[in-house]
Amino acid sequence: MPSPITKATIAHLANLTRLRLTPAEEERLLHDLQKILEHFEELSAVETTGVPPMTGGTAERNVFRDDAERENTNRGAGKESFPETEDGYLKIPGVF
Amino acid sequence: MESLSTLTIKGIRAGLEAKKFSALEIAQAFFRHIKETDKNIGAYLSIDEEGAAKAARATDLMIASGEKLPPLAGVPVAIKDNMLIRGGSATAASKILESYEGAYDATVVAKLKAAGAVILGKTNLDEFAMGSSTENSAFQKTKNPHDPTRVPGGSSGGSAAAVSGGMAVAALGSDTGGSIRQPAARCGVVGLKTTYGSVSRNGIIALASSLDQVGPFAKTAEDAARVFDVIRGVDTMDSTSAAREYGPDLLEPKPENIKNLVVGLPHEYFVDGLDPKVAGAVRDAIKVLESLGVRFKKISLPHTKYALSCYYIILPAEASSNLARFDGIRYARLPGVLGSLSDIYFKQKGLGFGAEPKRRMMLGAFVLSSGYYDAYYDKAQRVRTLIARDFEDAFRDVDVILTPTTPTPAFKIGEKTDNPLAMYLSDIFTIPVNLAGLPAVSIPVAQKKDDLPIGFQLIGRHFREADILGLGHFYERVTASNN
Repeated sequence: MPSPITKATIAHLANLTRLRLTPAEEERLLHDLQKILEHFEELSAVETTGVPPMTGGTAERNVFRDDAERENTNRGAGKESFPETEDGYLKIPGVF
Repeated sequence: MESLSTLTIKGIRAGLEAKKFSALEIAQAFFRHIKETDKNIGAYLSIDEEGAAKAARATDLMIASGEKLPPLAGVPVAIKDNMLIRGGSATAASKILESYEGAYDATVVAKLKAAGAVILGKTNLDEFAMGSSTENSAFQKTKNPHDPTRVPGGSSGGSAAAVSGGMAVAALGSDTGGSIRQPAARCGVVGLKTTYGSVSRNGIIALASSLDQVGPFAKTAEDAARVFDVIRGVDTMDSTSAAREYGPDLLEPKPENIKNLVVGLPHEYFVDGLDPKVAGAVRDAIKVLESLGVRFKKISLPHTKYALSCYYIILPAEASSNLARFDGIRYARLPGVLGSLSDIYFKQKGLGFGAEPKRRMMLGAFVLSSGYYDAYYDKAQRVRTLIARDFEDAFRDVDVILTPTTPTPAFKIGEKTDNPLAMYLSDIFTIPVNLAGLPAVSIPVAQKKDDLPIGFQLIGRHFREADILGLGHFYERVTASNN
């Protein structure tokens, strides 16, 4: 079976993940991903009809809190480690 | 003072109470040892002498004024560098976070501080905890204190090496597929992967959120229990954390309860590819446990062989989503990354992430992408259910499951860096536990002094850390008295 990963797939995935890759990296990823996917083929032998997917860790219950006013003690935290700020605002390049 | 390499939490408490040494003297002795030793090992990425001295002095003041000491008073600990400490670096061993500073204390860090622990510094890891050898760090390769030509295992290799090399009494690591147990086995220390939900993940740089758990490294099972008891508990900042009470048997295991445990030996973990030295060491450990009166039973975990594929679909899928946030707009930006929003994203990620995160983000994007989701991601989640059910079925017959922790002892630095699949096989015995959310501990097999360390893994029922740590504790007691 031909690998579902081609050079075009690599370019598409790099765009989805917002990664600028060098030609050498693209070449390497093509090889590695093809090899890894071959290994995954073994899963097609497992009968999973009627088996529900496990989507989390354990004790899956939704956690709610009261919709009440509360003091945020962490306000402003993280500002120091934000790359650019101005007058207390976080600064990013124009979106449009 | 007794040797730093054998000092335990209990030993520190006894020494402090008897005024044999002060907490500050201990901290200073550890920093002296780190400065002498760590240039050859590379366990730490950063140390914090000032912060440690402050914490140690606080303990010394409490002793002077006769106050009751908190459980980890004066205990020097190391923290894996993917956990936040307010105002300190948290690089996750990635260039992309080199200039990032933690904005708050991770819940586990806050709990350690409140318990009186003295945080010595932050330890090396594979970038974003992706790897099995600590060779994937953007900053340095950590070496195994038992043989510096070999890897310490990974991804929490820095924490394992720090405890193994006498550079910390205990340490925190994170375990997504074996990243605590596997380096613990390779460095000859105890490493506990905690039950999913038992310890808050708030303030931990996420790798795969349904698999990640924080846990301790220590020299003994008893010390691991003490650290676990401090860091565990429900946290409103982590909605997957569970409110569970633990009984007194966590810290004080009773021999009569432990010897009544039935231990399962899954034949899928004792396979042909197993290194003969590992197989022999684990057989020796089983004999010791039999002498305690523990009963063994052969069991089967039939879907074990699919765990690796299942894991390497689920993990990259979650990681590609978790790592998307390091876009150069938030957290930190590399020097020279300029331009439009889109330019910044592409340049920052292209320059900032190393080869393994890139590989996994690409793989994750693929298994989640339209047309392939059902064949890979959805299939893997269903297989995950089957793997979890295997354990559920087994735990109807046995209380604990024993396996080797790793298929081989520590390998040579550079041996597997060119072959990602061979590297992934390092975690073949530890991955199923994360998929099922169970607790498991790696206990070093008692061996001759010059042998490379080998660990055996004890897997328990959900929230039954007491069973595996208790069994480990009595194993250590018997082997210590035999020597």
